[in-house]
Amino acid sequence: MTTMAPDTSASIAPVRKSITVRATQADAFRIFTTDMDSWWPRSHHIGKSPMKRVIIEEKAGGRCYTEQEDNTECDWGSVLAWEPPRRFIFAWQITPQWQFEPDLAKSSEVEVTFTGLGDGRTRVDLEHRHFERHGAGGPAMRTGVDSPNGWGDLLGMFAAVAEKA
Amino acid sequence: MHDIKLDAMGDPTRRAIVQTLRAQGAMAVGDLARRFPVSRPAISQHLKILKDARLVADEAQGRRRLYRLDPAGFSSLRDYFDQFWTEALDAFAEHVEARANLKRRKP
Repeated sequence: MTTMAPDTSASIAPVRKSITVRATQADAFRIFTTDMDSWWPRSHHIGKSPMKRVIIEEKAGGRCYTEQEDNTECDWGSVLAWEPPRRFIFAWQITPQWQFEPDLAKSSEVEVTFTGLGDGRTRVDLEHRHFERHGAGGPAMRTGVDSPNGWGDLLGMFAAVAEKA
Repeated sequence: MHDIKLDAMGDPTRRAIVQTLRAQGAMAVGDLARRFPVSRPAISQHLKILKDARLVADEAQGRRRLYRLDPAGFSSLRDYFDQFWTEALDAFAEHVEARANLKRRKP
């Protein structure tokens, strides 16, 4: 399943994860999306001050952003598919310079599907794909943007691999 | 192995070195040093840390030693996202579980 035109550049294998949780499909979807703030790791954001909360707008085209302690808002993604309670896709819009990437063609994407198991549990399958798109902007000199926990240049590294592949 | 890579990338000068090598391909220490406001020995020290983390590889070319990104080291960094989503989904599942337990205890 692809939401955008196929990428012709060298691709990097997606990351796939699955987990089963004790919640109905509808609850699992809601907690993952609308209530993302209740579980999202606090260290993972691209703001310049500590994050206050993470917000997912409940519609296709909606923003994914954080509110920071300094009262700024920090976009980091967009909702590509909003299909409760089955499927949620968002663009991971973070540049190799660790800043918001407005261009969806230069963003990777994360698809999350929810499958009710019929016993009050739900399987959650996550796929983070198209890392190579972050390399589409070509090499760029880092300007010293610091990331909160040292993984700031990760997407730049993926891009580097994509360019070499 | 991941920690050593993340530590290596935790420094802004080293991240800038990686970006430069990514843009320029293989470079000698002297050429790199000219692009940064730090001494040549400092660049060498940064390169050693990057090399130990397998993010950068070196090769002799004539009398010069050239440094370039180590693709093998980089591809294993993909595992970091793997780890990130494992942690994030675990946090999600833990939250859902706590909520399920709370619901069960209610009369």
